[in-house]
Amino acid sequence: MTSKKQLLFAYGLAIHLLLVAIICYAAFPVTAPAEPVRIMYQTTAGKVLFDHATHAGATGYSLSCFDCHHHPMGDQNAMTSCSECHPAAVEEGEQPLTCLNCHNGKDIRDTPILSRTDALHKGCTDCHAEFEKGPVMDANSCSRCHVI
Amino acid sequence: MNPKKTLLVSHAPFWHDGGGIPERSYHTLLAALPAACAGIAFYGAPALGVICLSISTAILWELLMNRIMRRPITVGDGNAALVGLLLAMLLPASAPWWVVVLGTFLAIVIGMQIFGGIGGNPFNPVVLGTAILSVAYGRHLDFDAGLVNFTFTAFASSTDPISALKAFGPEAVSHLRYLDLFLGKQVGGIGSTCGAAIVLGGIYLIFRGFIRWEISIAFLASVYLSAALFNMADPTRFAPPLFHLVTGYTLIGAFFLATENSSSPVNLFPMLIYGALGGVLTVLIRNIGAYTDGVLFAILVINLTNPLVDKIRPRAIGKAA
Ligand code: HEC
Ligand code: HEC
Ligand code: HEC
Ligand code: HEC
Ligand code: HEC
Repeated sequence: MTSKKQLLFAYGLAIHLLLVAIICYAAFPVTAPAEPVRIMYQTTAGKVLFDHATHAGATGYSLSCFDCHHHPMGDQNAMTSCSECHPAAVEEGEQPLTCLNCHNGKDIRDTPILSRTDALHKGCTDCHAEFEKGPVMDANSCSRCHVI
Repeated sequence: MNPKKTLLVSHAPFWHDGGGIPERSYHTLLAALPAACAGIAFYGAPALGVICLSISTAILWELLMNRIMRRPITVGDGNAALVGLLLAMLLPASAPWWVVVLGTFLAIVIGMQIFGGIGGNPFNPVVLGTAILSVAYGRHLDFDAGLVNFTFTAFASSTDPISALKAFGPEAVSHLRYLDLFLGKQVGGIGSTCGAAIVLGGIYLIFRGFIRWEISIAFLASVYLSAALFNMADPTRFAPPLFHLVTGYTLIGAFFLATENSSSPVNLFPMLIYGALGGVLTVLIRNIGAYTDGVLFAILVINLTNPLVDKIRPRAIGKAA
């Protein structure tokens, strides 16, 4: 049996902690920073963790932003998600509407555009092959990125 | 004339430590607090939010169930608060509010109240709740996926070591130092990573007699031994035993989860068997099973064996056969 004092303590605990919890959740939500730290891709082939901060950071591999964010080269506008221009699924000869933000449709009509998965696969592994470090596109390396 | 009540016998546990349930709950809460504080110190407000929400909703669920089932209000005994704290300690700091509320519902209502409340539960409610969450909402309990927005510059690795081991083998975690991992420099649950604080709390509980050393030590020794056997068989596939001791839920499992009163045995041999079985299962699941961390499922299985191993007991004196 518990005493009245213990009961009141439990009620007090429940109410005060609930208030603190609401404040924490409302005022300090975990939001993604403008420049990602890590990105977890949940794909049908398992999850892929891409450590953005380590790839770009001075304490990591010190790559240039433009090694990956390639279009337009040397322009801060390039720092967007790859899927802005490489959509999840692309039809042959079609291009995403975002191109028209900067281009006249006629000028770029002949440019083939990779799907998001192809762009990431090629973008990631071409560079790894160039540095001879990190996972490349061969049958033994899939599981170095993909975790089932 | 005794009031009728004194002749009633309640559920197990029946082992007398000189105190009552409230004393046990609040001392265990106190013992778990350093490890939880380590998590708050590291993850800040989000971790504090998860812990507070978990404790308070655990109390509220129990209160609600007491009311619905028209039973005496039991939240004063502190057990619900303890369940809430331990549950929060297993979750990532990024756990959304509804995962926490669902988790305390599963632990308190499904894990405990429908069995008649404290003492009636066949499984550790915290473990049951977390296990269901991890099967149903794995993404929210996946430390790598959940904590993508946190920077871990103080740590040698910004991924969960036990998942890295599972996915990429011992080579990928060979650069981690055991002392760092033991001091909590690793990605993981809010209160499950700082081994030093957990062991401190565990030793306090053992000396005060609130938990039994036999279970904790048997659990840890058997994790060590079975991991050592695997490691000896093939060091390229299986991590060294010390790694298993200081990562994942091993330490919090040994001191705070496997020792839960009503789902663990009370005699010496049963306790040793129970703990040892938990350790073996943990390593089996980690090394050759499908899940990254085996502790939760191992503890659920040994909870199941509890009534069985508890049958091994000294024969009553003077009784034949
Ligand atoms: C190794 C390749 C790589 C490097 C180097 C790199 N990034 Fe990224 N970045 C990515 C990828 C991949 C994404 C994710 C895009 C997606 O998911 O569609 C991304 C996403 C982003 C985004 C978020 C876009 C959004 O809206 O989701 C920003 C901002 C960004 N990067 C900025 C930078 C900056 C600034 C640098 C240089 C300090 C940099 N990146 C260096 C590969 C890289
Ligand atoms: C603003 C639009 C835009 C964004 C954002 C963008 N791309 Fe591209 N990407 C293009 C265009 C246009 C082409 C084709 C022309 C070219 O090669 O420059 C292309 C081509 C590619 C190619 C093929 C290059 C080759 O040599 O064939 C790869 C790989 C690629 N992108 C990867 C990425 C990755 C990875 C990201 C994100 C970090 C990304 N792209 C973001 C517009 C974009
Ligand atoms: C943020 C604005 C922006 C967006 C969006 C954009 N581009 Fe561009 N694009 C540029 C700029 C600026 C240049 C010229 C500088 C350069 O060559 O990088 C350029 C150049 C090009 C070129 C000629 C480059 C060359 O290598 O000769 C092609 C082709 C092209 N873009 C295609 C596309 C396609 C296709 C898309 C949509 C997927 C797209 N662009 C989206 C800004 C943009
Ligand atoms: C511009 C070059 C470049 C691009 C693009 C790039 N990487 Fe890398 N990545 C590296 C280098 C360099 C290393 C190896 C660093 C080392 O081992 O010292 C590496 C290593 C890795 C590793 C292994 C890390 C480890 O700890 O062993 C993974 C996984 C990885 N990259 C994933 C990705 C993914 C996913 C992408 C595409 C979204 C990507 N990388 C794009 C340069 C790149
Ligand atoms: C450098 C890291 C890397 C390597 C190596 C790699 N992948 Fe991927 N893969 C990714 C990323 C990142 C995505 C996510 C693309 C997205 O979300 O659109 C992906 C997506 C995929 C998908 C698409 C799943 C879906 O949801 O549509 C398939 C299939 C896949 N990979 C297969 C493979 C196979 C097979 C190999 C080995 C030959 C491989 N990958 C090697 C990084 C890698």
